[in-house]
Amino acid sequence: MQNISLHNYQDFLLRFIDEELDLRETDALLAFVALHPEAQEELELLQSTKLDIETITCPSKALLYKNIFPVIVEPTTIVYPNKQKLFKKEKEKAPVILLKWWAVAAAAVFLFMMVRYGMLDQKVGSTVSKNSISKNKVSKDSPIAVVKNNAPTNTSIRNNAVAKTGSNAAAKVETRQNSISKNTLEYRAVQNIESSAIPTATIVTATETARVIPSYNGSIIDIKPTIIAEISSTPITPNEATETQEPNEIIETIDTEAASSNRSVMVGAFEIDKDKFRGLFRKANALFKNKENNRNEK
Amino acid sequence: MTEKDYNESVLLYADNVYRFIVKNLRHTEDAEDIVQSAFEKLWIHKDSVEPLKAKSYLFTVAYHLLIDHTRKAKRITLQESFENDTQTAYQENKALKKVLHDALATLNETQRSLVLLKDYEGYSYEEIGEITKLTTDQVRVYLHRARLKLRNYLISPQQVL
Repeated sequence: MQNISLHNYQDFLLRFIDEELDLRETDALLAFVALHPEAQEELELLQSTKLDIETITCPSKALLYKNIFPVIVEPTTIVYPNKQKLFKKEKEKAPVILLKWWAVAAAAVFLFMMVRYGMLDQKVGSTVSKNSISKNKVSKDSPIAVVKNNAPTNTSIRNNAVAKTGSNAAAKVETRQNSISKNTLEYRAVQNIESSAIPTATIVTATETARVIPSYNGSIIDIKPTIIAEISSTPITPNEATETQEPNEIIETIDTEAASSNRSVMVGAFEIDKDKFRGLFRKANALFKNKENNRNEK
Repeated sequence: MTEKDYNESVLLYADNVYRFIVKNLRHTEDAEDIVQSAFEKLWIHKDSVEPLKAKSYLFTVAYHLLIDHTRKAKRITLQESFENDTQTAYQENKALKKVLHDALATLNETQRSLVLLKDYEGYSYEEIGEITKLTTDQVRVYLHRARLKLRNYLISPQQVL
């Protein structure tokens, strides 16, 4: 460090004003100043040349910023008007009922049978209606008169029985058709009878009825109650006709619709044969009983 | 430097640069022009300027713009004085300050700049040398001359009276 003297103290003072002296030089200068009043006076003068810090604001400061004035976007509250409609409430779930296995099995078997045999029955039914005559055990050899009869009768009437009293079946035929005679008479005999005696009688021959009455019309299977008549070859007098004798010929009126309805049960759209289900139910019952027995034994 | 750094430099240093220029020029509008020019230059070269060097860069640019402006003004030989022209003159509040600033006006641009950089900004000789493109010794010598000149102005008989 350079020694401070009266020749160089001004330089030290100037550096002191500029704050360029280190700590040791500063101490040395202050000691020198304390010893030399002229140096003290000089220091005060030089200190007065030092500018006080002023705060001056640049008027165009705002113009100097680049892209910064932050645009404060106030959050706008947008409320969706139909908010209430959007709320959802979860539907309560239906309680789950646990079924026993045998109940489920029975239901499954029942449904299976219902579907299978029910459908089969439908098919069978259609075939039955087509071949209703053969199902009703009508012999092919005998000429058959099939007369339409919508009455729900299921009785087969013998010719002679009808002749005696005007049987129920014949009466039904009469009431329904208004054209069917109380009896089925031999064609010749009937020709002799006055029309007034049996006003609504109609003579039906096997050949005629076979042509006249269709048993199946397209897709619609129409099961028609029929009067099946076996026409005798022996001539019958009108009296005889009314009084009818021992039945040689059988007039069978077979109502296939009624017969099938007695045997079958409608389950929904399916027609189920009772007889088949009886057997099934028996089998199922036996199975369950066997299992219960086995359990009891165990 | 990023845009954010630049804007931060504006926030921190714009007033300092302006003060430096306005004290030199004693002309607010010219000072504003120079400050704007200095910051424009900083913006252009922001990619090559480190944020820590932004202040000295601004002062360097402003100083050279000041020198250029002063030289140009001298060539034009303006007839108007600061007091009489239509431009706004920097107003001094206190008498002593006014005397000191009058004394400052008697300095040349370099001396004045050195005094301003030293007193207002607190730069060291080295830093001032970097800004003004002078050596440290030159800064020291010029600055000491400026101080003595100011001192002489303050103790001159006109000021004493």
